[in-house]
Amino acid sequence: MKDYTFVTPGMSPREIVARVRSLPGVCLTSTGMRDAGQSDYKNRLRFYDLATLTPYYNRMGLFSVECHGGARWHVGIMNRRENPFYEIEQLRKKMPNVLLQTLVRETSLWGYRPYPQNVIKYVINNVDIDVWRCFSFLNDIRNMRVAAELIMKRGKLFAPAISFTQAEWADDKYYLSVVHDIVALCGGVDEIVLVIKDMAGVGSPARIAALVDTIKQKYPDLVIQYHRHTTDGLALPSLLAAARAGVKIFDVEEDSLTRFYGQPPILGVQAYLEEEGIPVHLNREAAEGAVEKVREWIGHYAWAESPFKGLDHGVLKHRMPGGAFPSSFEQAEKGDFLHLMPAILTVMSLYNKIIKYFDVTPGSQITWTTCNGIVNRYAKENGEAGVRHLIGLLKYFIIEKKQDFNALNREEKEELLQLFSNAPGDFKNLLLGHYGKLPMGWPDEWVYRSAFGSDWQEAIASREEESPLDLLEDEDLIETKKTLEEQLGRQATKEELILYLMHPKDTINYLEFRDKFGEAPYVLPTDVWCKGLQKTGDTVEFEINGKPFSIELVSIGAEHEGIIHVVMRVNNKTRVYTVNTPRAKKTTIRMAKGENEVASPINGTLWRLGNPKRGVLKVGDIVRKGEEIANIEAMKMETAILAPFDAQVVEICVKVNDIVKEGQLLFVLEKNGLKN
Amino acid sequence: MERKINRILVANRGVPAVRVMHTCIDRNILTTAVYSTPDRLAHHVTMADSAVHIGEAPPGDSYLNMDRIIDAALKSGADAIHPGWGFLAENDVFAQRVLDAGLIWIGPSPQVIKMMGDKIAAKEVVERANVPTIPGISNVSNVNEIIQWLQAEGVEYPIMIKAAAGGGGKGMAKVECEDDLPQALARVRSEAKKSFGDDKVLVEKYIERGRHIEVQIIADNYGNVIHLCERECTIQRRNQKIIEEAPSPTLTPELREKICQSAVKLMKSIGYSSAGTVEFLFDSVTKKYYFLEVNTRLQVEHGITELITGLDIVRVMIDVARGKKLAFKQEDIHPNRWALEVRLNAEDPRSFNPSFGSLTRLTEPHGPGVRISSGVYEGALIPSYYDSLLMLIMATGPDREAAIRVMDRCLSRNLRVEGVKTLAPLLLSIIRHPAFVQGDFSTRFIEENMQDLISTFVETGDEDEALKVAKYVAEISALGHQNWM
Repeated sequence: MKDYTFVTPGMSPREIVARVRSLPGVCLTSTGMRDAGQSDYKNRLRFYDLATLTPYYNRMGLFSVECHGGARWHVGIMNRRENPFYEIEQLRKKMPNVLLQTLVRETSLWGYRPYPQNVIKYVINNVDIDVWRCFSFLNDIRNMRVAAELIMKRGKLFAPAISFTQAEWADDKYYLSVVHDIVALCGGVDEIVLVIKDMAGVGSPARIAALVDTIKQKYPDLVIQYHRHTTDGLALPSLLAAARAGVKIFDVEEDSLTRFYGQPPILGVQAYLEEEGIPVHLNREAAEGAVEKVREWIGHYAWAESPFKGLDHGVLKHRMPGGAFPSSFEQAEKGDFLHLMPAILTVMSLYNKIIKYFDVTPGSQITWTTCNGIVNRYAKENGEAGVRHLIGLLKYFIIEKKQDFNALNREEKEELLQLFSNAPGDFKNLLLGHYGKLPMGWPDEWVYRSAFGSDWQEAIASREEESPLDLLEDEDLIETKKTLEEQLGRQATKEELILYLMHPKDTINYLEFRDKFGEAPYVLPTDVWCKGLQKTGDTVEFEINGKPFSIELVSIGAEHEGIIHVVMRVNNKTRVYTVNTPRAKKTTIRMAKGENEVASPINGTLWRLGNPKRGVLKVGDIVRKGEEIANIEAMKMETAILAPFDAQVVEICVKVNDIVKEGQLLFVLEKNGLKN
Repeated sequence: MERKINRILVANRGVPAVRVMHTCIDRNILTTAVYSTPDRLAHHVTMADSAVHIGEAPPGDSYLNMDRIIDAALKSGADAIHPGWGFLAENDVFAQRVLDAGLIWIGPSPQVIKMMGDKIAAKEVVERANVPTIPGISNVSNVNEIIQWLQAEGVEYPIMIKAAAGGGGKGMAKVECEDDLPQALARVRSEAKKSFGDDKVLVEKYIERGRHIEVQIIADNYGNVIHLCERECTIQRRNQKIIEEAPSPTLTPELREKICQSAVKLMKSIGYSSAGTVEFLFDSVTKKYYFLEVNTRLQVEHGITELITGLDIVRVMIDVARGKKLAFKQEDIHPNRWALEVRLNAEDPRSFNPSFGSLTRLTEPHGPGVRISSGVYEGALIPSYYDSLLMLIMATGPDREAAIRVMDRCLSRNLRVEGVKTLAPLLLSIIRHPAFVQGDFSTRFIEENMQDLISTFVETGDEDEALKVAKYVAEISALGHQNWM
């Protein structure tokens, strides 16, 4: 059997680049484990299923497998309850021949805020990845510096990406200047792969051929990889045009995964390019195996697909990236404004002309949140007519008046100055330069007046010209770890700290989930993960540490007072589980919050209100700082509750002999100026 | 004169009630259980030959309700009452009322209980018997008396304030400085009043890095007093023991002999009968020991003494109560094993806050070298009104190292409790801690090493993991696809 493997983990970047250059034709990166799922299945493809592709990937002769990063990280923690570190560890064992690839957002890595240098270093040093694709939604290459230096120093392949879009301002000259910055940063072209990141899928064959040709003319030895979504319907001809212009690596996904917004299909790409005389390095038989394997489980994910289906050439206007497309529609559906989507997409296409950057994370989120906020506001105030009016005004301003603010009448000006008045904080951060330099410079003055109101001049004055890398102070990681450990009530691992640095709140939820449900996300097949066992006798079998376990459903009881009893045989032992339904009667316990609220420090019985000297405490009583105001007994030990300051009792929230919980609200006090 | 005992009422619940009933069954003696309303389905109730409801949940209405208990004994045809430990076990008024009702009291005489129960009186007796005591003052009612005593005797902080009538770690407070004194004194007096009906307190110097060593005594009504060697109960949290062992890893044979003889001498001097314990504080630096108190009852940790000596102390108590002479002499006692006990309390292992609820899963340890003294069963409810003790786990071996290994097996591989939190993770961390393994610890071991101990709380085994998965399957089977997915 022919061995198709031509690059392997551990190889130096220089060697990898040399091997790609020496291929007679092109090679492929499969995004089946990351971007394919992100673009068409909202990142819900579970590791349980994806892991079945590893034996095929291991002998497919791929350049790399993108299996990590992007939003897969966040969704893993939040929705699939999977740990990206676990995935890497498993993939290393299951496909040792394959270069593992991640996608990082320069200074914000896999999170959504710019991180200081020490965090970037800490994270990169502790994640075992071979190919680091790194992009900036502003194409601000300065932001890649720390990551580039560290990744190259560690002997890993750095793959800087230029964010690509099709717009009159994004011309070849502009991109060439970005490539120039990249080559300068990376000390040449021999240890990097340059990625053209066409995240929305808008590069027409002619456009992309021209761009690649321009770059290759200047840097003939630069290895270029083309990452493209299929949204506009022109992916295959564009790939062919790019290959002819000199691209060596293409991102593809399994044909059976392909829907509308991901990468082009692997078998189709190979067949098409080879028919046109371009050799494709691929073990076709293994690739066919992977495509077949996907069919075994992809049926479980119909629920995760976008409610909006079909290719969309309109992407050239609104430019929403493939990775964000389905989730935006999902958000619109959940938020009950799906009917506004056409208007939002139109407003996005107009917004793009006012504030110029690339629609990819976190920029795409800023665009989306800002634009859907504006459209929703107009819809709420004046219905459909309001939305039509908004679009009319923007078109008039942009197309007819060529964005000349002073050419507007007073009324129009005032309305435009309200446009960004409710814009999200990240939009303002963007205008202030907290993410880096905007590719075409700062937006017009009126945008600042609109976003910052009377503070607009100060806002303009405080715009940052430096990269956030050079602005942010190092974070005290020991302190952050302590905060995490306090919330967990135990020591945290390095990996847990990294999860927490990226997504603090969701990481806590995730770790609590895992404490409660253990290995469930990894060992359960997807139908059981999503729907449980359905009828009597249904059985699920799984292994933990190589030991077989079996769960058989006996019965699911009827709901009674918010509780359902589920009877199951777990390894032949019958067990009854009490499940609280969302309608479960919740005895809400008020917890103390503000400083005027006194909490119980322990679980116990409140046996005395007041103290023996004073007698029983009543609402309206004045208490002195340090005076005992209640006493709680637990296991025959007493704990005195002392007044935290001189105060008047506003509310007594418990009765004598109540069983109280730790943190439960006992008293509401009001500080008062006692006259002594 | 020997008397017959056909039926014993066990005036207790949970672990002590079950423990006493086991010996009764072995001796062919019928048992009567008493129970409060929330205990109606409790383990000790179902295992007894008959059971009597004695009141509502608060102990004052039920397990401390002397009238109802004596009435229950008479009505159920019991001829004796065993109080277990806790509740009325050291209440001389109750003991006297049991006798007055014509019943046999299984324990020392009311006079002895009274004398030893009053710490101030006890201290005088002890000093007369030439047993060393800790510097202190008695009959304290205000802060000034304490301050004057500190100055007069040149005693330095920390000091310990204790209820004169107290015991079992309740009604005491360690005071580090003068500022904390008023609060602490007020608290101890209040707890003392509530728990023991007497707010008299005494104050003593607090011995830092002390070790808690106690001597098990058994005595009959004919002046025969023998000791069953010592136990070490130094590992405590909030002044309550959680790990005990016999023998003590810290005593030399000479010291052991000395301390045991001191205990025998003391108990002889007060005419003690039945089982009791003399507690000492051992200063491991100076090798001096000081009398702490006499527990005039069966001790929680008596089981480890039974394991190393092969005796049944409850049986001895019953025999003595019937008027029998001790069937053995001091020279017949030959401890030949090491035994360790942990108290499995339903408590949060980090905060020690009590944990109430239903025991949804319970697997008790078993296997060679294990003795379990349990008060619960899977499914049992743990009410909030009483002591948090679920189970005593005892492990034995030919030496200390082997006994610790057995205990490790019990806690890490056998024991499984769900539904309430238990001390198990903490207990396991302690017995694995190098200082514990070395035998190098003081009563402050837990507070000094809490961070270490918490960080080594162990993860669970594969079966536990499978049950977590099952919990998930149950939830999703009942509720279907979830929004968060």
